[in-house]
Amino acid sequence: MLDLKNIRKSYLLGTVEVEILKGVDLHVDRGEMLAVVGASGCGKSTLMNIMGFLDVPSSGEYLFRGRSAQGLSDEELSHIRNTDIGFVFQQFNLLSRLTALDNVGLPLVYRGVPVKERRERGREMLDRVGMGERWRHRPGELSGGQQQRVAIARALCGQPSIILADEPTGALDTATSRDIMDLFASLNRDEGITVVLITHDPGLAKRCARSVCMVDGLVETV
Amino acid sequence: MILSENIQESLNSLWGAKQRSLLALIGIVIGIGSVIAMVAVGQIVENESIRQFREMGTDVCMVRENVLPGKHGKRGGSAGMSLADVAKVPGQCPAIRTVAPYVNLYSRLTRDGRRVPCPGLGVTGGFRDMFKVPMAEGRFISDLDGYESFCVLGHTKAEWLRAQGAGALVGSDVLFGGRLYTVVGVAGPVLSGSFRPYEINEGIMVPIRLALRLPDRPRIGAFAARMTGSGETGEATRQVKAFFRYTNRMNVDVVGAEDLVAQMERQMRMFTLMLGAIGSIALIVGGVGVMNVMLVSVSERRREIGIRRALGAERKDIQLQFLVESVVLSFVGGILGLLLGVGAVAVICRFTGWEFFVSFLSVLLGVGVSAAVGIFFGYYPARQAARLSPIDALRSE
Repeated sequence: MLDLKNIRKSYLLGTVEVEILKGVDLHVDRGEMLAVVGASGCGKSTLMNIMGFLDVPSSGEYLFRGRSAQGLSDEELSHIRNTDIGFVFQQFNLLSRLTALDNVGLPLVYRGVPVKERRERGREMLDRVGMGERWRHRPGELSGGQQQRVAIARALCGQPSIILADEPTGALDTATSRDIMDLFASLNRDEGITVVLITHDPGLAKRCARSVCMVDGLVETV
Repeated sequence: MILSENIQESLNSLWGAKQRSLLALIGIVIGIGSVIAMVAVGQIVENESIRQFREMGTDVCMVRENVLPGKHGKRGGSAGMSLADVAKVPGQCPAIRTVAPYVNLYSRLTRDGRRVPCPGLGVTGGFRDMFKVPMAEGRFISDLDGYESFCVLGHTKAEWLRAQGAGALVGSDVLFGGRLYTVVGVAGPVLSGSFRPYEINEGIMVPIRLALRLPDRPRIGAFAARMTGSGETGEATRQVKAFFRYTNRMNVDVVGAEDLVAQMERQMRMFTLMLGAIGSIALIVGGVGVMNVMLVSVSERRREIGIRRALGAERKDIQLQFLVESVVLSFVGGILGLLLGVGAVAVICRFTGWEFFVSFLSVLLGVGVSAAVGIFFGYYPARQAARLSPIDALRSE
């Protein structure tokens, strides 16, 4: 599904060039649930951004579903993000002006899906994450756990082939974190959705079938 | 993304920053208002000059005593023209066919102890034909009325009397300036402006011989004349000037229909220049205001841009979203400006006595210009938004 070969990424901080990823090799299979664990600053978020086509590597090869990601235009990258990838962020990243329902339907907006159909799909997705009752609420009226469920519904709405979750429980308490992890696990188990979870918490990583550890810009298999 | 949704989105977002949006709009409102007023005034004046010709004919001119002392003129305190002299004009000046001299009176109209200020006119029988005064009831003043205390009520004064509870007006007596007059007729409403004295609507008309004998000794300062030709004021002017110089040693000015139109056009040019200057400055200021609001909006919503990009929005989707927002913003300003402009035109018309109307064209122009301002000044911020890299946008707070 995903193949990263010798991925490097460096940033220019002022005049100093800092290398964040120092040749990452990683393979993710279809239907897998993988945890990427690492201390903060080890480059795991950068890795996720590259996997999610939000950022491009400085060098190395990235194969997404067998296709090279190199030299894709901004439109093509947008298209892949829209159709193949579902993001779940630590800070939920819902749009505060929109209702839960319209937030969930947002990926479909950029496919030109009419509003009626979007809302139908949105309702389905909200039901699936147990938020069907709250479709009318705005993010500000929901708890952290509920917002994250809405965000997961949004990630699912576009029927992606992979969900990338960056510290999805980082802003939640322990009990809520467990619920969210259960949700990911059931999505992976029951619907065969590929999930890549990025976390600093080894406890969460244990709930994934496989986990890799990132140390200082390199992936080490545990 | 579908346009109607973009528009709804932008209304939501603008409503979220009401104060800022409104402040930014002031410039647009004034700018569009001026543009609309400018166009409308131009059209009104054009209309006005056409109406001028249509209503009174192109062959009317006004002769006024030139009160500035000149080579042949008497110094101030002139006794004015005499009725007899004016009556001689058509005979002595071949270019003039008929004349209508009149005198102005100022007094009060009284009924049941209630008084209103009321201007009056002493008129001849020919006045009616000259100024095309329609009659609602009764008859107009006739030359045969002589010194009789008869009067014709102007439209608004007749309304006032009716509002005071007067029954049949024709045949009743009214008290004007301490004298009782018998009403012989009521004039219908006329469009004022142009050469027409406003007293036709607003005052009362009495026989000129009577008026000239009133205690305050009014004088004939002006008369209207209909020319024999179709509007060549040049020859008529020469003849009338010569006549008065010879008979009264008096200087007169002759103003023809074309002079009046030219005068209106001068006035219009002044308004146009003023409104054009205000409008273009205000539009630039307003446009910069819109740009500012949009730049703030873009920087405040970097995270939103990032989220949208992560969910698959292309650069052009983001650009369109912000462009629509700035167009909507200035469009709202355009609509408010439209109201302001129409209000300004109404004030100008009141002030000049022009007939008020706002054409579809000026509305269209206002709306079009506001949309253009939105696109022009919104393009740069929208481009800034579109150029943000998804990852930078997502990382910002």
